[in-house]
Amino acid sequence: MHLPPWFWLAAVVLISWGIVGLLQKLSTNHISAESSLIWLVVGFFLLQPLLYPGQALWTYSARSLTWALLSGVFNALGAWALFAAMRSGGKASIVSPFTALYPLVVVLIAPLLLHESISLLQGLGVVCALTAVVLLST
Amino acid sequence: MSTLAILKVKWFWYSILCVLSWGAWALLSKIGSNEIPAPTMQFIFTFGTLPVALALLVGRRFQLEKSPQGIFYAVANGVLSGIGGLAFFAAFRTGGNTSVITAATSLYPIITVALAVTILRERLTWLQIAGLGFAAAAFIIFSF
Repeated sequence: MHLPPWFWLAAVVLISWGIVGLLQKLSTNHISAESSLIWLVVGFFLLQPLLYPGQALWTYSARSLTWALLSGVFNALGAWALFAAMRSGGKASIVSPFTALYPLVVVLIAPLLLHESISLLQGLGVVCALTAVVLLST
Repeated sequence: MSTLAILKVKWFWYSILCVLSWGAWALLSKIGSNEIPAPTMQFIFTFGTLPVALALLVGRRFQLEKSPQGIFYAVANGVLSGIGGLAFFAAFRTGGNTSVITAATSLYPIITVALAVTILRERLTWLQIAGLGFAAAAFIIFSF
């Protein structure tokens, strides 16, 4: 078995975001979803001193810096839309598997935008992953 | 609910907005990571989340519940999300396929479900057990 270089990094993502899923549940037992998001951003900022890049920050192109900033905007906007969907009467059992389909957007756009194509086998893996996430979110 | 009726409900459109936003987040993360290292990506990303948090704060008229437990869990969420975000950006920087990395990292509910079963003593539904099977299949395929 040959593990791709990103495999262990993906494992770190799975474990940390997997624990987040549980804590999200525990936090919304005590406070509202909106307050949870506000305090989550406070948690993000606690890491900032460790991540501070110093002068190096200004060596990157304005374009890349804009993409990085927008990635944060869209991530938080998506989280807000998820809360709004649940608040406006969407059942969690429908909204959460539905919103888990975001990799589909990437699969559809990546070939056009990044000129990346996926093999038939990788495509099969993506279909299995999407099916898994939808079933797990029920 | 019929197909036409679903188009008239608000939550459906909010959910679409969520899917599109998170799709854009993943794509922008990849494009930004081409040049910027993971820790700096996470540093700038955090400033991007600020306007949404501020908008919610204003929307709540700066009234937040005073539950130490709730606040502790939510702040811990932020720290762990940030650590996961770092690894997410680093994974993109390896140059692996964007669609595959996005799909593989979106499998994090397997850990949530496993923890809910062991810590919260929740019981798995048959659909969730089937989901674990598909997740295992995806991992085996991606490891080829």
